[in-house]
Amino acid sequence: MPCPSAARAAERRPRVRLGILVVAILLATVASPLAALEQGEAAPAFKAPGLSGGTVSLAEYRGKVVYLDFWASWCAPCAVALPALERLRQEFPADQFQVLAVNVDRQPELAKTFLRRRPVSYPSAFDPKGEIPVQFGVETMPTSFLIDRQGVVRHVHRGFREEDVPDLRERIQELVTSGR
Amino acid sequence: MHWLCLAIVIAAPLCGCSSVRPWEREELARPEMAWEPDPLEASLESHIHFSKEAALVGGGSGGGGCGCN
Repeated sequence: MPCPSAARAAERRPRVRLGILVVAILLATVASPLAALEQGEAAPAFKAPGLSGGTVSLAEYRGKVVYLDFWASWCAPCAVALPALERLRQEFPADQFQVLAVNVDRQPELAKTFLRRRPVSYPSAFDPKGEIPVQFGVETMPTSFLIDRQGVVRHVHRGFREEDVPDLRERIQELVTSGR
Repeated sequence: MHWLCLAIVIAAPLCGCSSVRPWEREELARPEMAWEPDPLEASLESHIHFSKEAALVGGGSGGGGCGCN
C-alpha cells in the first residue's frame, strides 16, 4: 500500500508545474529587461537613414566628442532639449564636438514638422522601429549619451531641463579640452 | 485536468500583455490620453472639490467649505 503523504505529493506535482508555467508566462510577457548602457562602456556603432536623407553613422564622428540625443516629437522635454543642444553645438568648434540625434517617431512627417518649428543644424537619424535605443538601453525619453573621441560613453543624461545645460556644458568642455 | 483549464484561463489573457518601452509611448503621450487633458480645468475642479467636500485631494489640504482657501 503506498504511503498517503507520498501519494499526495505526487498529486500536487502537476499543480506545481502548472504554477511555474503560469509564472513563467507572466514574466515572459510583462518583464522586458533592457541592458542600459553606462559610463565607461563603448557606444554601439550604428548606421541609420537620416531624417533629411542620406545616412547617419556614429562611426563617422569617431575622433570628435559626440553628444548623442534620442528624441521624439511627442516628448515634451525634447522641445526644450533640441534648441538648447543647438546652442551648445555652436559653442564648441565643429571639428571637436558634434551633436547627433536619433529620432524615434513612427512617422517622419511628425518629426519634420517638429524640426520646422525648432530648426537644428545637427543630423538626426530616423529609427521608427526603435532598434538603436535598444542597443543603447534607453530607459526614458529623452536620453542622451556624451561619447568621447574613442567612442566610450562618458555621461548618460536622462530627461532634460534648461537647468541641466551648465552641467552639460562643463562636461563637454572637460572632454573637449582633455583630448579624450 | 481542471488545473490545466485554470492555467489556460489565467495564462490566456496574459498573451495580450506587453511592456511599452520609453520610445513607444507616442500614443500614450497624446493629450487625449491624459487623465486630465486640461490642467487649468483640473486645477479648478480640484479646488472646488476640496472646498466643498472638505476633503483632501491632489496636492492640497482639506478645506472648511467656505471656498476661500
